[in-house]
Amino acid sequence: MTEQSKLDDLLPLTPTAFHVLVALANGARHGYGVAQEVEELTEGRIVMGPGTLYGTLRRMLDSGLIAEAENPGEEGLHVERRRYYSMTPVGSAALRAESTRLMRTASLAQERLRV
Amino acid sequence: MSQGRDAIRAFYRRLVGLYPRHFRDQFADDLLQAFDDRRSERRFAGTWGGVRLVLFLLRDFVTSVPMAQQPHDGTRGVERIMGDFFRDIRFSARMLIKNPMFTLAAVTTLALGIGLNAATFSAVHGILLRPLPGAEDPEELVQLFREYPGIEFGSNSIPHYQDIRDRSSEVFENVAAYYFNPMSLSADGRSERIIGMLVSANFFQTYGAEPVLGRAFIPGEEDRDPGAHPVAILGHGFWQTRFAGDPGVIGTTMLLNGHSFEVVGVAPSDFPGPVTFAAIPVYVPLMMQREMEPGSNRLENRGNNNMTAIGRLHDGQTVERAQQVFESILLQLREEYPDHYGRQSSTRMVLQSEAGLHPSLGSAQMGMSSVMMAVVALLLLIACVNVANLFLARARDRRREMGVRLSLGAGRRRIVQQLLTESLLFSALAGVAGLALASVTTSLLANVQLPIDGPWAFNVEMDSTVLWFTLAVSVGAGVLFGMVPALQAARPDMVSALKGEAGEGGGRSRVSSILVILQMALSLLLLISSGLFLRSLQGATEIDPGFDEPENIVMASLDPGLQGYDEASAQAFLDRVTEDIGALPEVTSVALTSNLPLGLGSSDRGVGIPGYEFAENEPRNIHYQYVGEGYLETMGIELVEGRTYTRADDGESAPVIVVNKRFADRFWPNESAIGKIVQTGGAERQVIGVVETGKYSSLGEDPTEFMYLSYRALFRSEMVIVARTPSDPQAVLRQMRNIVLNADPDMPVYDVRTMEDHMGIALLPARLGGSVLGLFGLLGLALAAVGIYGVMAYSVSQRKREIGIRVAMGADRSAVIKLVLGEGMKLAIIGTVLGLFGAFGAAQLVKGLLYNVQAIDPVAFIGVPVLLLGVAAIAVYLPARRAAGAEPMRALKAD
Repeated sequence: MTEQSKLDDLLPLTPTAFHVLVALANGARHGYGVAQEVEELTEGRIVMGPGTLYGTLRRMLDSGLIAEAENPGEEGLHVERRRYYSMTPVGSAALRAESTRLMRTASLAQERLRV
Repeated sequence: MSQGRDAIRAFYRRLVGLYPRHFRDQFADDLLQAFDDRRSERRFAGTWGGVRLVLFLLRDFVTSVPMAQQPHDGTRGVERIMGDFFRDIRFSARMLIKNPMFTLAAVTTLALGIGLNAATFSAVHGILLRPLPGAEDPEELVQLFREYPGIEFGSNSIPHYQDIRDRSSEVFENVAAYYFNPMSLSADGRSERIIGMLVSANFFQTYGAEPVLGRAFIPGEEDRDPGAHPVAILGHGFWQTRFAGDPGVIGTTMLLNGHSFEVVGVAPSDFPGPVTFAAIPVYVPLMMQREMEPGSNRLENRGNNNMTAIGRLHDGQTVERAQQVFESILLQLREEYPDHYGRQSSTRMVLQSEAGLHPSLGSAQMGMSSVMMAVVALLLLIACVNVANLFLARARDRRREMGVRLSLGAGRRRIVQQLLTESLLFSALAGVAGLALASVTTSLLANVQLPIDGPWAFNVEMDSTVLWFTLAVSVGAGVLFGMVPALQAARPDMVSALKGEAGEGGGRSRVSSILVILQMALSLLLLISSGLFLRSLQGATEIDPGFDEPENIVMASLDPGLQGYDEASAQAFLDRVTEDIGALPEVTSVALTSNLPLGLGSSDRGVGIPGYEFAENEPRNIHYQYVGEGYLETMGIELVEGRTYTRADDGESAPVIVVNKRFADRFWPNESAIGKIVQTGGAERQVIGVVETGKYSSLGEDPTEFMYLSYRALFRSEMVIVARTPSDPQAVLRQMRNIVLNADPDMPVYDVRTMEDHMGIALLPARLGGSVLGLFGLLGLALAAVGIYGVMAYSVSQRKREIGIRVAMGADRSAVIKLVLGEGMKLAIIGTVLGLFGAFGAAQLVKGLLYNVQAIDPVAFIGVPVLLLGVAAIAVYLPARRAAGAEPMRALKAD
């Protein structure tokens, strides 16, 4: 399986997975941190409960979009108990491809709406 | 508030517990951590916040469960089926717990069936089918027997064994031999009687069993110089129990029959001995035979056959080739020892893996075990019908559930899958319970104490073959009893099912009718077959052996000739001892004989009858026994005509003979045998008496010709004293021994026992088989009765509504009961007829295995159907009466 076709299998990303990747784009975060970031990014439209959060993370781990990572140096409550996740090269490629696709679709839509 | 929070946390913890296991294992801590993070958010604070949190968590749970399923492997179909499967399992497990009585009834019934199958299979497999455990390459081992006309599996004497061992190295790597022998063992200040084994020096090498401690016997050294090798090897089990597994036992000495023996080795734990039914405690080299059996000299007596010989084939050699080699060995031996090899016709070879308990049991042991397997298979089938019926009854209670599922769009296949999963879960549970039952049963069997003493240890461990067998049986049973109700349930009529109505459902009552018929037929087949065998075994123990009250006959053997007595003094010694015994107040009669019937040895010789032409292949050899005066009276053998021996019938008088009725009828039919001539033993003997025909070699034998020769005319020194006593036989046995020892303190006395013990060997198969089949029969009867009751009662209860309507419409109650009873019994009778046909067929198949009973035994063929029909009648009558007696309105509303 080539890199490209493997990538094609992962696309299109679900909105949740897309936002998780965006949340992880500038560094590793722990699970709850991901949920908070996604909520912020989507202006409260995607609120992930514990099950949804880890269900999503598990699927993304399985498909290689993200990986477990070291604590990047955060301090705070229960920090030693938390697991951190970061975007893999596959995840970053998928995010790039997906955002390009979204952009094209979005600009196409805008063009047509203007007409 | 924090208390409320904690309650929410506890609630969430439970919710987490409902995720699939692998998901929980991976993320349970993270989920709870995420929960803790969430609950500290401001929006979930306060009472309403708590409510919002609970709702939020519930929604989250429902949406995330599919995400938490097993990771998919690309094949979505498999994923779905597996998902369904796990869901079914969870659901089934809940059903199982919800209805504990139902579960208990179904699992117990099935476990009984599966357990008995597993136990019987492990016994048949361990004792008959599995090649010898602990032996290296058991497929290379061949048992060797001397074959004579009329005797297929003759044993080997020591000189004969030595000759075949030395002359067959072309085909056999090794030839070993062994025989069981009682020994008195003293060690550490304790003595006991054991049944040990005398074995050739190459015994352990031949089996490829390496001692765990010490050494094996040394071939080439410990198989020469009689009496020079007082060494012994302990069996592993005996070493553990008697010597506490002490490795220091090597090099110590113990006394065997009063002689010092050095313990040189311990046999490996996986090799309990060369047979599958005994664990040998002690092995001693053959060369110590005289020390082990004082008074007999097997080492030089070529005619004294008592050993099993076993050869290990060279790589690439075959039994056929060995057979050829042994034909030429026999020709050589016949030339060298013309006196000894006149009768042996060839050498019989049996592969160890096909020998079973003993090849002379031949097809009987396989036949008996097939019968056992068939009986337990039938038991299992009956159990399956019972459980199928239970499931069917429950399926009725679940009609509404199935209706809802179907109407919501569940596929029928899904529902069948769900119900089959349930039945398989049941059978898996039953399989586990059955294995537990089987292991209890087999350990009982493995440690069974037989009435004859010996190191009995049946090789009935439950190995992986048994586990696979049980698995297969359980799955088979699950599919079998699950299939019918499952298919049935998937096709209810949706509307009436939703209403929870029983519906007239013709199909359903047809299924239950079929179950009634099947249950009757199978139960009948099982009970008649085991009944037949029980009758046959009962017949065996009731067979008249030809003599009276064996429990009142005692015996002791001695051989003055071996103690240096000549013929005259030996005769005098025997006479004196018999007179002293006869003088005991407890003894009513005493006599001398060369051997006793129904023992392990027998002798025969050719006869000629003046005026009688033998057909070409007609056997001329007749079994015989030397007896003294009073023998026939002591044994209680009935005289038909003429007279018995007196003291005057000695070597000086005219040669005479006593024959049995069968002998007289064969050679002189329709006329008196008295005064006729029999040529045998080098003389023309005149018949002086005819006695009733008894049993001589085995209780199952057909009537056989037999003759009694006077021991005073043809003296032998090895004799058995038999005496009859109406009082305590053990006390008389002690006195007999004392009388012999008073006459000569050095005279060995052996085989001191009652005739009943002596016959125990002949009765053993009947006793064992009888108790096992009796147990199976009882279980079968219980299962059949419960099953017939259950099936019948269920089919009546299905008609409760109809009965209620009839009664409500004014029908006479007793008429309604009669109607229901009549219809129920019609089914039962159809089943009975089918079952009888099956039983007739089965009886024809097993005819050869039955003795003393007709295949169409009236007791079994009439008693069993009457009994089962009675059970069926009660099973229909009671629920029918209840239904007819109920308030019509209740019956109408019911269900």
